[in-house]
Amino acid sequence: MGSQQRDFAEFYRESCDDCLRTVVVSVGNRDTAQDLVDEAFARAFASWRTVSRHPAPAAWVVRTALNANISRWRRRRREVPVPDPGLLADPAAVVDPAAVEGAAAGLVEPRIMAALLRLPARQRQVVALRLFLDLDTGRTAEVLGIAPSTVKAHLARAVTALRDLIPTPHEEIPS
Amino acid sequence: MNDDDLLAMVRQSFTGLRSTTPVEKILRHGRTVKARRRLPVLTTALAGVAGAALAITIVLPGGRPPGPQPTTSPTAELAAWTVTRQPDGTIKVTVRELRDPAGLQSLLRADGVPASITLSGQENPSCRPYLADPGLQDKVVTPTMESVRPPSGTPGPDPYSGLVLVLVIHPSALPNGVGLQFATGFSQSVTAGGVHNTQSTHLDLVYASPQCTGS
Repeated sequence: MGSQQRDFAEFYRESCDDCLRTVVVSVGNRDTAQDLVDEAFARAFASWRTVSRHPAPAAWVVRTALNANISRWRRRRREVPVPDPGLLADPAAVVDPAAVEGAAAGLVEPRIMAALLRLPARQRQVVALRLFLDLDTGRTAEVLGIAPSTVKAHLARAVTALRDLIPTPHEEIPS
Repeated sequence: MNDDDLLAMVRQSFTGLRSTTPVEKILRHGRTVKARRRLPVLTTALAGVAGAALAITIVLPGGRPPGPQPTTSPTAELAAWTVTRQPDGTIKVTVRELRDPAGLQSLLRADGVPASITLSGQENPSCRPYLADPGLQDKVVTPTMESVRPPSGTPGPDPYSGLVLVLVIHPSALPNGVGLQFATGFSQSVTAGGVHNTQSTHLDLVYASPQCTGS
């Protein structure tokens, strides 16, 4: 195994789970997220000489995966009737309820996943990038192509909403 | 529970969610992606001669001298490469021979495309890759190989293989401050059929800077 391949393999092992979690939260579908992340990592390996010089290669992978998801959505939109134009006005807002159950079943606490999926898509993305990739405001803004002040606003709103949506242990009614 | 505790709890709830794809599968797929993306390879079999020198004839339309000058005419033509601005605003670069990188770089810059051209096979180390938009490169430049005839009047046998590298550049797709890096070179291999020169080319988007693209 060459040194580039070894470097990439190490990067993959260190970051594949967190990239997958970030994309699962963003797209709400575990299987779709796995496909997107696999494809993004393959592209990262194909361009490893340059991607490895990126200050946050995992952020590059996630951005590539999210871009690919938008492309998939655009292709799907041409192929099938759109059931909910309001929802589909934001490509990243497309959430497959069945897959959400799949993502939650035994892998993620259902109440947490349900709460995350009730957030607007952009808020979910901001939270996921902060949680799983530990990106600061500037890098998150770069990945999502939005202003740093918008990132801060989304994060603040998301945390406030999650606080309401996720009952903390002392708030739960004992059975 | 403060905000950090809340976010830590959310993060903790995902520890059971792990990627199921082995790295070997990613590597295999990555090689396929790379092979698909790699520019068509121009291979010239030389009869036991490594690095045959090609006679270069410079053709200058309208008496335009070579060198880093703005393209006052829509087309600048050299035997080594041709730069043509097309009606749809794209710029077509036809590379017949790896020669005069500074001239090509200057011409592209004059046409609004900051570029770093190296012909040694090595990238300019001063160039910083532009990775903010992974899909952008495909919108900016389309590389292909085309079969062409040598310039008329070229004496002797056709020194070209008949295939040349063609880049179609969309300047309007380039964000401000971003340029194109074009690093190409030959490597040699010896087989029973003789010595083969293989041209490999790498294209990347880079941040434009005086050290990288000269502007």
